[in-house]
Amino acid sequence: MARPAFLKDWFRIRRELPQGRRVALTAVSFLLPLALWCVVSYVPWIWHPDVKIELSAEREGVTTVFTAGDHVSREFFPEFVEAVRTENKAVLAARAAGTPESGARRKNQKLLRQLAPVAVGHGWLGHDDAQNDAVLYHLWRDLATGTKTATKPALSEENLGIIRQNWAQLSAVSSDFSFRKLPDEPLLKIVPQGKPANPVYLPAPHEVVRAGMRDFRAEVPEGELTMGDRYRKSLRVIFLGFLWACVIGIPIGILCGVFDFFSKLFEPFVDFFRYMPAPTFSTLLVAVLLAGDAPKVALVFIGTVFQMILVVSKTTRLLDPSLLEAAQTLGAKPRQMITKVVIPGILPNLYNDLRILLGWAWTWLVIAELIGVKSGLTEFIETQGRFRNFDRVFPVIILIGVTGFVMDQFLSWLHGLLFPWAGNAGSFSRGIARCVTWPFRTAAAGIQARLSAAEASRVASARQESP
Amino acid sequence: MSTLELPGYRDQSPEVAARFERLRQRPVALEVRGLTKRFETPRGVVTALDDVSFQVHKRELMCVIGPSGCGKSTLVRILAGLETPSSGEVRVYGEPVSGPGSDRGMVFQGYTLFPWLSVKENVMFGPRMAGKSAFSAEREAREWIDLVGLSKFENAYPHQLSGGMKQRVAIARALANQPRVLFMDEPFGALDAQTRCKMQSYLLDIWKNVDITIVFITHDLDEAVFLSDRILVLDANPGRVHEVVEVPVPRPRSEAQLFDPTFMATRKHIDGIMHPPGSGQKETPVMRLAVSDPDVV
Ligand SMILES: Nc1ncnc2c1ncn2[C@@H]1O[C@H](COP(=O)(O)OP(=O)(O)O)[C@@H](O)[C@H]1O
Ligand SMILES: [Mg+2]
Repeated sequence: MARPAFLKDWFRIRRELPQGRRVALTAVSFLLPLALWCVVSYVPWIWHPDVKIELSAEREGVTTVFTAGDHVSREFFPEFVEAVRTENKAVLAARAAGTPESGARRKNQKLLRQLAPVAVGHGWLGHDDAQNDAVLYHLWRDLATGTKTATKPALSEENLGIIRQNWAQLSAVSSDFSFRKLPDEPLLKIVPQGKPANPVYLPAPHEVVRAGMRDFRAEVPEGELTMGDRYRKSLRVIFLGFLWACVIGIPIGILCGVFDFFSKLFEPFVDFFRYMPAPTFSTLLVAVLLAGDAPKVALVFIGTVFQMILVVSKTTRLLDPSLLEAAQTLGAKPRQMITKVVIPGILPNLYNDLRILLGWAWTWLVIAELIGVKSGLTEFIETQGRFRNFDRVFPVIILIGVTGFVMDQFLSWLHGLLFPWAGNAGSFSRGIARCVTWPFRTAAAGIQARLSAAEASRVASARQESP
Repeated sequence: MSTLELPGYRDQSPEVAARFERLRQRPVALEVRGLTKRFETPRGVVTALDDVSFQVHKRELMCVIGPSGCGKSTLVRILAGLETPSSGEVRVYGEPVSGPGSDRGMVFQGYTLFPWLSVKENVMFGPRMAGKSAFSAEREAREWIDLVGLSKFENAYPHQLSGGMKQRVAIARALANQPRVLFMDEPFGALDAQTRCKMQSYLLDIWKNVDITIVFITHDLDEAVFLSDRILVLDANPGRVHEVVEVPVPRPRSEAQLFDPTFMATRKHIDGIMHPPGSGQKETPVMRLAVSDPDVV
């Protein structure tokens, strides 16, 4: 059977696709997860295992109280609704029998506040003013008479009926709120309303974007940290930790790769030490280095440096030994062989190693920020996660991801610039690399233009002088 | 098939004989005496070289030829000081060799150019190591690059060059150190036939203009005869000197000489040493079926 043409075009063993298709697939690789997230979030019949309560009701003799915005499971919600209906039936039955309960004023006052989410949702009441009974009382009237129509959320026919019934009773006594003038017999409860929702840990894209915009722009009171401050603090920790790891790790790694002496002296212990997870040292680090950034920097350092020594020594050993032999036959002395052959020879691979290790350092950063006094972006994630404000957590997680990604792409582009002789650094998509590095490239082009202009004028003036 | 009457490879014309006489008068550039090299391997001791002795005179071009694995690379590595012999000694103009040094240049089969340096910087490497200033090293490098005909490419990087160009850079780089002996280990082995021919002529051109003694390793018979004054033929397992052949082909050499009777005679002689009649590999037989295929018969 012949392979269909489209299979032949798109799936070829170890062949690069044409530029256009590569770009398309790169775009898809980002759009696909995003589309999936949107589908799960916005198509109500896909997944949505919860019901997000829009209008709630308190039940008699049940202490668990749900408020608007709470999530309950899809299975439980009908039960909840049914319980409230049963209570309403009992009230109606008692009323019909002429033996209504009495002393229900306080309950009725609470019952009137069932509409608070509607009022707040439409901006008829402020968030902090949700218990303004006078306004709510008029809302009952407006909704009953149809002067106002609720859309956030839209009220069910059943609930509108209940509102009208209740208002008939309320308006018979008073047209304005007064606790004393509330009916003494129980009113009907608004039946809970809700809509299908995903669990709180999967907020919808727009919620995440909104929360992110709010948090990143938020002005904070004196003494607290803005998101920018947290970001800078996190970057500082990771770079300091990584810098120290480089300062210690690279020379030792190169020495281990060049001299068997150092390899046998250091590597066995380093190999052993790296199996002790860096976070297990956190309490020790805090005890020794006390609070502040020092133990965090140290944790990133410990997490990175041992890997670095091993990776750098391996890279050093991978240098083509015949280059060293060639250098020897050209009269290079041992020290020159290290400075003039080993170091320049391994530089491109070393650079790539560091790029990968920097990616790892981000992992250590997150752990580091949790030890001692929590700090930086991770503290924010921790705190908001505890309050289950996951819509505020995701933007920060994405921020970390984007930072790492942009940095990596930038470094890979820089690799091509620094080591043109070493081939591709393995930036996985030139398209993305181009987007990410656009500002840097523009700057570089500017500098180059200025340099070549200076060179040209220098040459011109030299020419004028020479004859 | 008509048998061509070839002269004996030992029959030298008077001019050639006089040339070899003059050659023998020259001082000995490289002296190898009783060189033995054994490798300890997990499967036992491998004797790569066994009691190898020979001499190379000043400004001679000697080829070392032998089947693959006979120890040619091992020999040249010992000469260059990159390996230590198990016994025996090597002297360059009377001085014993005890390690790599800039008095002996080396050109490897794998180019071994420094990929992070431009052509010019590669050639400058030796002089810079010897402590010359960047300025004088650069001036020297330019001359050598000019000699191998790569002036246009002095700022190119190795990855931008073809194999033949790379090897020319490697030669220039080795010569820039002004070594007294140059070792070349199958330098043209990785090149295609046409480029190899060109490179051989280049090499002779360069050698004509440079005061240098060359020991050239190859397993290509034509290359050996074309280039050398004398050919050292090695036996394999263990590597031993079988014979040192004086090539009776007059100089200057040209490609036209490939069909010279003297050339062919020398070639045939060495070929006979390397592939003795009767020891040659039989042709690979067509695979025979154990059970005949009934559908085919
Ligand atoms: N470092 C080594 N260790 C063990 N055996 C070696 C080593 N180098 C070379 N040999 C052996 O020595 C013999 C000669 O090798 P080599 O000099 O590379 O041959 P040639 O260059 O003529 O092909 C081979 O049998 C090879 O296996
Ligand atoms: Mg070899």
